[in-house]
Amino acid sequence: MAVARPAPAVPAPTTRRVGGLDVPVSLIRPGWANPYLDLDDYDAESDVMALNLGPQHPSTHGVLRVKLYMDGEICVKAVPYLGYLHRGVEKLCEKLTYANVTPIVDKNDYVSPMMNELAINMTFEKLMGCEPPPRAQVMRTITAELQRVASHLLWIGTFCLDIGGAIGGGASAFMHTFRERELILEVFEELTGCRFHYNHHTVGGQRHDIPAGWDVLVKKTLDEIEGRIHEYEDMLTENTVFRARTIGVGVIDPVLAMECGVSGPILRASGGDHDLRRDAPYAAYDRVEINVPVRTEGDIYARYQVRLAELRESIRIVRCLIDDIPPGPICALKAVKLPGAVKPPPGFAYTAIESPRGELGTFVIAGPGKRGRGDPSPYRCKIRPPSYHVLSLLPYIAPGENLSDIIAILGSLDPIMGEADR
Amino acid sequence: MNTDTAAWVAERFGWETTDPELGPEVPAEQLVALARALKEEGDFRYLCYCVAAHYPAEEPPPPPEVPEGEEAPEPVPGKPDRVLVTYRVRRLGAGTTTFGFHLWVPTDGTCPSLAGIWAGADWQEREQYDLVGVRFEGHPDLRRIMMDEDWPGHPLRRDYAIDTRHHPWR
Repeated sequence: MAVARPAPAVPAPTTRRVGGLDVPVSLIRPGWANPYLDLDDYDAESDVMALNLGPQHPSTHGVLRVKLYMDGEICVKAVPYLGYLHRGVEKLCEKLTYANVTPIVDKNDYVSPMMNELAINMTFEKLMGCEPPPRAQVMRTITAELQRVASHLLWIGTFCLDIGGAIGGGASAFMHTFRERELILEVFEELTGCRFHYNHHTVGGQRHDIPAGWDVLVKKTLDEIEGRIHEYEDMLTENTVFRARTIGVGVIDPVLAMECGVSGPILRASGGDHDLRRDAPYAAYDRVEINVPVRTEGDIYARYQVRLAELRESIRIVRCLIDDIPPGPICALKAVKLPGAVKPPPGFAYTAIESPRGELGTFVIAGPGKRGRGDPSPYRCKIRPPSYHVLSLLPYIAPGENLSDIIAILGSLDPIMGEADR
Repeated sequence: MNTDTAAWVAERFGWETTDPELGPEVPAEQLVALARALKEEGDFRYLCYCVAAHYPAEEPPPPPEVPEGEEAPEPVPGKPDRVLVTYRVRRLGAGTTTFGFHLWVPTDGTCPSLAGIWAGADWQEREQYDLVGVRFEGHPDLRRIMMDEDWPGHPLRRDYAIDTRHHPWR
């Protein structure tokens, strides 16, 4: 008698293809919290209490106000209120000339100004149809990666302050990372003359050429920073309290993150293998191989690990490029003497770069001008900030969490209010 | 701009793309159908942006002087007060592609909301409603997001002067 063979067991798939990415099935949730919850319908054991977080709370990274409706210690509904830092940057851009916009957008994401300048000038160049020379492209890549190191260092420090008391106040990690970040700012000061808000990029290239000995300074700084990363690891990675506060807390569904327009380290910590530097290379990223760190846990600890790995990766990318910066001009256009001289033809353009927080894009409409020969200022300039989209996640992920965990989750999202409010 | 997606949309809906950045112009009543098709069939799960831009009304140009005996040319019509609403969606991962589409709506009219398709469209549309003043029909929570609740006017309109004084902030 033939014995029916049991069918070979097919292992359940661990990933599912959504939106072009293979995301881990374990993180996908069937339903998301309802951000439009009507509190009259909510059946609470006790009264629901409205708790105001911010706008001056130290953990809100600027001035974000979140109205939390709490049932005891558990959040039921979170309503973020933005706009405390709204400066009308997009309206200002309509009044300023193309060459004058760069120092204004510097202040958007005030912990990575180089990224803002790069993003907006790439869009202007696309409108103009001009390509920066190779030397400018490589310089842009180097400054962008150094800025990423500085930005992630700042995140590690401020995040430790956010979860504060649990890791002995968190101030020691903060002091360590700020000491290293200061080194990067000194490198930029050597290059541009400013510690911050550099006004270094311009339409068609750069404004400052590399000073003599700058590459030696960069290499020395990178060696110093890389030698100190293990100090943060010693303080945090194996720290029992840090792990208890972060592992399994604030798990983000990658599909929800995609739908909210969130990319960058947050999506990569949830298993989304997406990085514009590798997938749609700009500047000189096609000259180097880029390894994208991806974690599949989706919690705060995974986001910490992704950012720490990106720190090392950025240092490696700068090392690959710093030794062979091609000679030549640093700007494709003649030096701008009159700010109104940059006049792109009428049209539309969108470009995006991978900022330390995700996709930073700019959409610009160039107007026809008075005689149809181009307008010296943009007709409409929209900045697509990653932080704005990251914050739109909050009403979905805060419900069901403890108040103290919400502080940690908010810190792990790394929002910068300057660019969210603009 | 992904030509495959543009060809797919042109074949399915019959809209031609004039500007590669803007993508096809979509009739307002078919916007939600296109968005759903892009998300579910095209696997575009990520909404890059929703941007509105205000175009004020344009007077028709004065008719040219015509010598006697010749026929006057067709008068050029003026343009109404209108808003351009543009969208861009992205498929993530290796070889990422984007696809843009747009529509024109009257400034006082409404635009269908896509908040039911992409969760992120909620805040995007709130921002455009706040700054440009487009009303998104079917939006679950259309409130101002940048400016105060009682702020007069919409700052990113072209006729909103940048130096307008507002009590009590200036």
